[in-house]
Amino acid sequence: MELVARAPEAVRDAVLARASAKRPILIAEPRYLSPDYFRPLRSEEGVLTNPNAGDYRVAPVGVTEAFAAIARTGSVCVDMGADIAGYVSLLPRLHIVVVDIDRLIFRPSDLFRLEQFARPIYHRNFVFISGPSATADMGPLVRGVHGPHELHIVVLC
Amino acid sequence: MPKHVTSPREVAAKESRAVLRRAIRLALDTESAAVRHNTRSFNLNRYRATAALPDYDALKDEARRIKEHALANRKALVQRLSESVTRNGGHFFFARDAQEARQYIQEVCKRHHVRSLVKGKSMTSEEIHLNSALEHDGIRVVETDLAEFILQAADEQPSHIIAPAIHYSRERITALFRRNFQTDLPLDTGEDLTRFARERLRQDFLAADAGITGANLVSADCGSLLLVESEANIRLTCIAPPLHIALSGLEKIVPSRREFAPFIELLAASATGQPLTSYTSVIQPPLAVPVVDFRGAGPVTREFHLVILDNGREALAQDAQLKEALYCIRCSACLNSCANFQVLGGHGFGGAVYSGGIGATWEAATTGQLKLARFSDLCTGCSRCATQCPVRIDIPGLNVELRSRLNKSIPLSITARAMHLLLGSSVVEHASTQQIFFAHYDRVAHLGMLFAPLSNLFLKVPGAHWFLEKSFGIDRRRYLAPFPRKTWVEISAGEVTHTPETQQGPEVLVLADVFTNYGAPERGRDALRCLRATGVRVRLTKPLPDGRAALSQGMIETARAQAEVLSSYLAAENAAQRPLLVVEPSVLAMILREYRKLLPAEAFANLQNSTYDLVQFLARHFAEQGSDPQAVFDIRKFAPGPRVFYHAHCQQRAVCDPSITVEFLRRVGFEVTCSQVECCGMAGSFGYKKDFYDVSQAVSEELVEQWKAAESAMGPHTLLASGVSCIEQLQGATGRAVLHPVELLAKLL
Repeated sequence: MELVARAPEAVRDAVLARASAKRPILIAEPRYLSPDYFRPLRSEEGVLTNPNAGDYRVAPVGVTEAFAAIARTGSVCVDMGADIAGYVSLLPRLHIVVVDIDRLIFRPSDLFRLEQFARPIYHRNFVFISGPSATADMGPLVRGVHGPHELHIVVLC
Repeated sequence: MPKHVTSPREVAAKESRAVLRRAIRLALDTESAAVRHNTRSFNLNRYRATAALPDYDALKDEARRIKEHALANRKALVQRLSESVTRNGGHFFFARDAQEARQYIQEVCKRHHVRSLVKGKSMTSEEIHLNSALEHDGIRVVETDLAEFILQAADEQPSHIIAPAIHYSRERITALFRRNFQTDLPLDTGEDLTRFARERLRQDFLAADAGITGANLVSADCGSLLLVESEANIRLTCIAPPLHIALSGLEKIVPSRREFAPFIELLAASATGQPLTSYTSVIQPPLAVPVVDFRGAGPVTREFHLVILDNGREALAQDAQLKEALYCIRCSACLNSCANFQVLGGHGFGGAVYSGGIGATWEAATTGQLKLARFSDLCTGCSRCATQCPVRIDIPGLNVELRSRLNKSIPLSITARAMHLLLGSSVVEHASTQQIFFAHYDRVAHLGMLFAPLSNLFLKVPGAHWFLEKSFGIDRRRYLAPFPRKTWVEISAGEVTHTPETQQGPEVLVLADVFTNYGAPERGRDALRCLRATGVRVRLTKPLPDGRAALSQGMIETARAQAEVLSSYLAAENAAQRPLLVVEPSVLAMILREYRKLLPAEAFANLQNSTYDLVQFLARHFAEQGSDPQAVFDIRKFAPGPRVFYHAHCQQRAVCDPSITVEFLRRVGFEVTCSQVECCGMAGSFGYKKDFYDVSQAVSEELVEQWKAAESAMGPHTLLASGVSCIEQLQGATGRAVLHPVELLAKLL
């Protein structure tokens, strides 16, 4: 996790630093954050906003926003509704998620109570993400199973 | 010797004691080490995670209320859910039984020309034997949860409800994969094995025509599913294939999505002991996101089917004694906190699908066969699970009820009738000779004492232990203590009048419980001495059977009759509601916990409000007086020194906080190290029974290890335990004398 200034260039720099040389980077357009935050990123080499099946198979990095972050459990909430965030947050090995610190709540149940989140169409489908995919089924704890092997949270503040 | 078992499947359906014995052997011989390690780490993590939940108890209450309400309104909720799913553009089907569910899913797959499908872990799909039906139709079924992937390769049933391959060590997985997949790829670490499975399965996800998942909860108001996982296989199963079929029991339906809230945190904490698992999805299928054409099959639209399953649940909901099993959220806290489960796993302590203490009710309900609940015999009633269950299911109570029904399903044998007659049972209840023997411990002990020199001589005669094993199933390897010459009540007669110094002190009644009265009269006398030395006026009741021994044998009517006698005796003798003090923790827990179901509410409340653990009463008395226990109990009189290793009784911990006793001992001046195990493994008569002796011994190993670790770190410790059976178990396992806290305290007078 890292804290980053609320500036599109800062988001771009944070994402590129994390992704290092890995390409392509898939981006799911934000629906809560201003689309401006991803603008400088979109014009970078190897960044795709409209991937096809082949891109999904190989892309090592996915970038999405989160509409909430949860302090107690260290989770981010990603909308999986109409947009491609469901795929982008799932298929690549590295998932970078961008969330505004204003969207920080204390615990998961707050999400079901707070008025500002009670927009049913918007959050019809979402996932609390609390780390990379992991398993203990093969003996010791292993990070990186069917979903991302790494989760990186960029907090705008 | 039991016949050798080649596959766990052979002993999955435990319809008789013989199968249960073979399953126990298999579990102890080949699966125990992995199960011990994995369940204990889940268990430890759960204690940490639930302690970190700021409102754990309130969440449990809320979850329980939601489940009670939802189940009471199940018919309306099913109707509402059906409308919601249809409104969302999905398809809804209510399956009355396993066959209807299978057929529906098979037809949907046929309609879509499904050739391969991926599955998320679903116990409900195991319950309806879905895979074999689909495979029969020529469909390639791929289990994608890594534990289920292992089981599919090994062709075994699950051994745990959330970690179905918990009995597999890393080494055994390596061997299995080598054998099964004939690969030269490296498979020697958890990383290797995971990589191997991931790479195979990624292709399967992207090529699948359909995905099948279960659901942790379903909301009626909007048709949302709650799906909890860590591996991301469920997320992929929901999103990658164009067709999603979800299968869920009707008990998973809650009124609205808001009701998911308490379960989200409770489930993760109670299951794996994490604040949340990696992924908790809340989805309203069919998803609006377009299907990515990984299969090269051209554009398709998404389709979603929700199958809600009855399969015995409706009948269970109408069963007043067992219906609370339907509140289960499948977190496995009851499995991981169960000492017997920790050494056996679900292949020993479980059925074809469901395992552990909660599993017996489920296995019987979903198959309609009571006899498949036979493995409920492995529930000792220790009650450690009851306080861990996030929806507060009385799991030991369910197993007592099952045992009672199993007893009643078998005709009363002639020897059992004779046993009733010999022991003068007040209720002639259906049970085996062995059960009647253990249930009437007080009568057996009374007779044994009546003929004391002779009966003790008998125990020394060669072949006596063999005889007891053959007649009553008491394992011949168990040490049987000789009967004392006089009971607690007899040796205390004339001693219990109060002295002038104690005239002003509070007056208490001490229960002459049968275990202390017949089994450890000196311990009882020590208890009275401690009280008197503290300035308390003491009266001892007459010997009163409390029903614990009968209840543990599933003899509920006998237990109820004894509870009623005890309750009415006390109502008459103790109209003043003096504190009733109990030495033996299993009896204390009987009164404070089990009497709730056995007695009328008012009688229970009267006892509940006046009954205390004897040592904890002492602790409270000193605290209230503001006096120093060292003024009464002089630790310098105890030559072995201040270090003690204390194991608190399992049932006692369900009704009172053991730290009060520990704190009191520390105030007296002891250095107390506590055991960190759930139960000693003796659990009343359980460890004496031939069928379960090995389980009992396996359970005690960890306790002995902890004691040894304490000794090697800090030097000799006096062994201390609060229950009569814990003391027997520890003495047997260590060869050392073990004291009850009152015996220790009495040495300081």
